[in-house]
Amino acid sequence: MSGLATAQAKASSAHAPLGLYVHVPFCASTCDFCAFYQTQPTVDGVGAFLASTAREAALVEWTRPVTTVFWGGGTPGMLAARDLEKLAETVRVRCGGVPDEWTVELAPGSVTDERLAVLRAAGVTRVSMGVQSFQPSLLDALGRQHSLGQIDRAYERVRAAGFSSVNLDLMFALPGQTEAEWAADVRAAVARAPDHISTYCLTFEEDTKLWVKLSQGRVKLDPEHEVRLYEQTWAQLAAAGYGQYEVSNFARPGHACRHNLNTWRMNEWVGLGPSAASQHGGWRGANIADLDQWQIRVARGERVTEDRVALTPALLAEDALIFGLRTNDGVDVAAWRARCPDAPWAAVEELLGRLADEELATRAGPVVRLTDRGRLLADSVGAEVMEAFSAGLPVA
Amino acid sequence: MSANYTRNFCIIAHVDHGKTTLSDRLLEYTNTVSMRVMTAQHLDSMDLERERGITIKSHPVTMTYRAKDGHDYKLNLMDTPGHVDFSYEVSRSLAACEGAVLLIDAAQGVEAQTVANAHLAFSQKLKVIPVINKIDLPSANLELCTRQLEDILTIPAEEAILASGKSGIGIVDILEAVVARVPPPRWQEYPQTRCLVFDSLYDSYRGCIAYVRIFSGSIKAGDMMMLMSTGQKAEVKEVGVFMPKMEKIAALGAGDVGYIVSSIKTPADVKTGDTITIASKPATEMLPGYKEVRPLVFCGLYPLESDDYEKLKAALGRLRLNDAAFVYASESSLALGFGFRCGFLGLLHMEIIQERIRREHDVEIISTYPSVIYHVIKHGGDLIEVDNPVNMPDPGTMIEIREPTIRAQIILPNESMGDILSLIMEKRGVCDHTDTLDMNRVMLKCSLPLNEILVDFNDRLKSITHGYGSMDYELGDYMAADLVKMDIMINGDPVDAFSCIVHRSNADNRGRSLCEKLAEIIPPQMFKVAIQAAIGGKIIARDNVKEMRKDVTSKCYGGDISRKRKLLDKQKEGKKKMKQIGKVSIPPDAFIKVLQNN
Ligand SMILES: Nc1nc2c(ncn2[C@@H]2O[C@H](COP(=O)(O)OP(=O)(O)O)[C@@H](O)[C@H]2O)c(=O)[nH]1
Ligand code: SF4
Ligand SMILES: [Mg+2]
Repeated sequence: MSGLATAQAKASSAHAPLGLYVHVPFCASTCDFCAFYQTQPTVDGVGAFLASTAREAALVEWTRPVTTVFWGGGTPGMLAARDLEKLAETVRVRCGGVPDEWTVELAPGSVTDERLAVLRAAGVTRVSMGVQSFQPSLLDALGRQHSLGQIDRAYERVRAAGFSSVNLDLMFALPGQTEAEWAADVRAAVARAPDHISTYCLTFEEDTKLWVKLSQGRVKLDPEHEVRLYEQTWAQLAAAGYGQYEVSNFARPGHACRHNLNTWRMNEWVGLGPSAASQHGGWRGANIADLDQWQIRVARGERVTEDRVALTPALLAEDALIFGLRTNDGVDVAAWRARCPDAPWAAVEELLGRLADEELATRAGPVVRLTDRGRLLADSVGAEVMEAFSAGLPVA
Repeated sequence: MSANYTRNFCIIAHVDHGKTTLSDRLLEYTNTVSMRVMTAQHLDSMDLERERGITIKSHPVTMTYRAKDGHDYKLNLMDTPGHVDFSYEVSRSLAACEGAVLLIDAAQGVEAQTVANAHLAFSQKLKVIPVINKIDLPSANLELCTRQLEDILTIPAEEAILASGKSGIGIVDILEAVVARVPPPRWQEYPQTRCLVFDSLYDSYRGCIAYVRIFSGSIKAGDMMMLMSTGQKAEVKEVGVFMPKMEKIAALGAGDVGYIVSSIKTPADVKTGDTITIASKPATEMLPGYKEVRPLVFCGLYPLESDDYEKLKAALGRLRLNDAAFVYASESSLALGFGFRCGFLGLLHMEIIQERIRREHDVEIISTYPSVIYHVIKHGGDLIEVDNPVNMPDPGTMIEIREPTIRAQIILPNESMGDILSLIMEKRGVCDHTDTLDMNRVMLKCSLPLNEILVDFNDRLKSITHGYGSMDYELGDYMAADLVKMDIMINGDPVDAFSCIVHRSNADNRGRSLCEKLAEIIPPQMFKVAIQAAIGGKIIARDNVKEMRKDVTSKCYGGDISRKRKLLDKQKEGKKKMKQIGKVSIPPDAFIKVLQNN
């Protein structure tokens, strides 16, 4: 655990990890559950996006090498091979070396040998594929654009291209999905032997088509069913050799996504592209979620214009708890106390004690972790953490 | 116009038998209110009164009617509150009259409130004019109604007038009967001025306005008046009559109904039932029937947000200005913080006040379990009154607890008899009279502890009888009973707001159902929450709030951090809308919900 402690303590030092996220905002159509910012691609739109991304990267004050890169979206795979190459060039110029990990999200339908070759050559190490389900009927129900055959062809190509880590994204608690059907999906994923599996419980986000259906009563929520699905997933993946390291993420040893871990530990990352969030140089915030508006701002030399907050040690400590408790490694409370002695630790300790008393959390030396039961309540725990930070009196 | 051409009367009826509709017809016929300004149900002016179809404030009105004998008569109609909670107010309104029009819904027949009101009228020696109303209804049963008049109320059937307020049938007959049968104003010959206060109103500009019936003498602006219950003197600023709006006149004389504005600014000083006389030539005897009204039902009212304490205090003060029967005093609760102990005439009165606080004064409130006033006899013989279960003394220090009882008359369909008798028994009542009213209905007379009918008795009576049952009651004696104080504890902390006094034989049941109900009402919690009922520290029932099983956002990557924080903030705000008891968030309506159908 001392490794984690030092990582957190030195988050802002010259050797601290630094992430780079690029939001590629293009999708062919909108999935029913999607709340991400994305838009239909046009030739001009893509060209402008690439140019503005390079321009935005030039606005950033790069003080140390980037350690992890993540391209998400949207669907980065929507970009043509030569556009991927241009984007990779922007990243390489700014990285100051070879990043330890470079992930690209690819929809199965967009996986071609040409694109894979470009990505491999650029230094991409990890491919994350949005499979969602192996059940054709459920894929349809989600408004997804790929078939089972496409999934397998895509997976084989990615494997053949020799990326060192491959992730499959799955979704559960889909409308009408039974426990047996979901177990079959997990088995199907495991059978393909990816290095990493993410399992997302379908969430009803405002401004999605699914939310509309829910509010019209066409889809019903069943929390008890969701609990069973969560528990079943965790058991099934553990038995298959995938260790859980966060609420929704599982990996074979050495394959946890470092970029995401970096954000949950409240280290720094730079986000490029419309809607991308950044936490860097003393500020947290996001770019505007609109391709045109983002370009206008970048042209004026402005970025991270939305939801800007100044990062304080107390805010970082609070969020390190909220997000760190979602991870199986937990949080090194002593390290954060050392970094931010003025936070209301008495209230926090009181809360952690109560969580431990009720077997929602465990405490090993300076490190607090949630139990399985506690992890299923991570939002309530998070709300309590916020309350402790806002209500608690600072320790004298 | 001599007082001999004045008639003072009221209309009494069971709720919904058509009193307001008929009053409106009378006003219309006598051109007291022109058709144009006439809104339906002119006399029920408060929103809440209109919505609930009940009358809370008196709405007297003076009409002029040219009778068939050729004379112009001054008819003063007193609209009276009908509900049992306000029976003292009713009795004062009746005392201001010489006659009463008793309405019976032709389709419903005599009901509990009909009987109670008729008896009130008889005891005030009023001339009762029976009117069978709503005869336009196809289901009207005149034969049944006339028989009930004779059998139940001992009123000769041939006196009954057939009417329909809706279709305007029988309006003239009623007016003629009022002129012919109601005697002229009584006690005119008394040598000094005597005015009965039957209600009052607070006006922020003019102070207290007393509603009065002048029995003898006269009163005018400039007179020095005196309130006989206290001897308090005040200058009369203005007198007038109700047309139905207040209209200033030079003087009020014997037989008149009107209002007096004086220099009195404190509403509590003008008490319903008091007698006003002229200070320089005072009467020696008060008009009969004056009583200090005393609240029967008490509960704590607390602001949901403690910041609203001052706002609640102001609201209570303003409500009290127009409602002398409502009392309050500050108190504090461990669970609920600072609030007020409030006293009401009955449950309806309590509901109305709570509703008005929420609606007219926009304060969200929490109400504690209602309580009656218990008499506790201490060792050594001292009697103390307890209106809050929290203050019940230690059982070791007392000889016995006495509780108030009521005498109730309940009218119900024959087929509900068995269920109602079990309900009465469950509520610790004793039934001592059963009268057959007609082929389908019986009237029960019974004694019940007041405490037992507070919460849900009426609702259950209505539901068992499918709405056909009705009840009325008057206060009975205090009786000793084996009562104990039950505390409710949440995670081991007693929540005083839920404390109640129960009969020992009911304690286990009541404790269990309260715990169950709370466990159901409190939303699932992350931390374990135990709910216990205890008597004298001994746990008699327990339950657990449901455990929260899942509350986690599945996908949470770097870009989501701000959004996630907003989400949690919302969750935190949501909690603020709840009452925090220790670490447990209780929805504010929990306090009311536990009261319902125990
Ligand atoms: N058919 C019929 N309905 C009436 C008559 N008088 C009143 N009602 C209806 O009975 C209900 C109660 O009337 P209301 O005057 O408010 O009764 P109150 O509660 O005694 O004041 C209302 O729905 C009226 O419309 C009548 O003469 N005939
Ligand atoms: S592909 Fe991804 S980003 Fe695009 S609409 Fe579907 S879920 Fe949203
Ligand atoms: Mg009415």
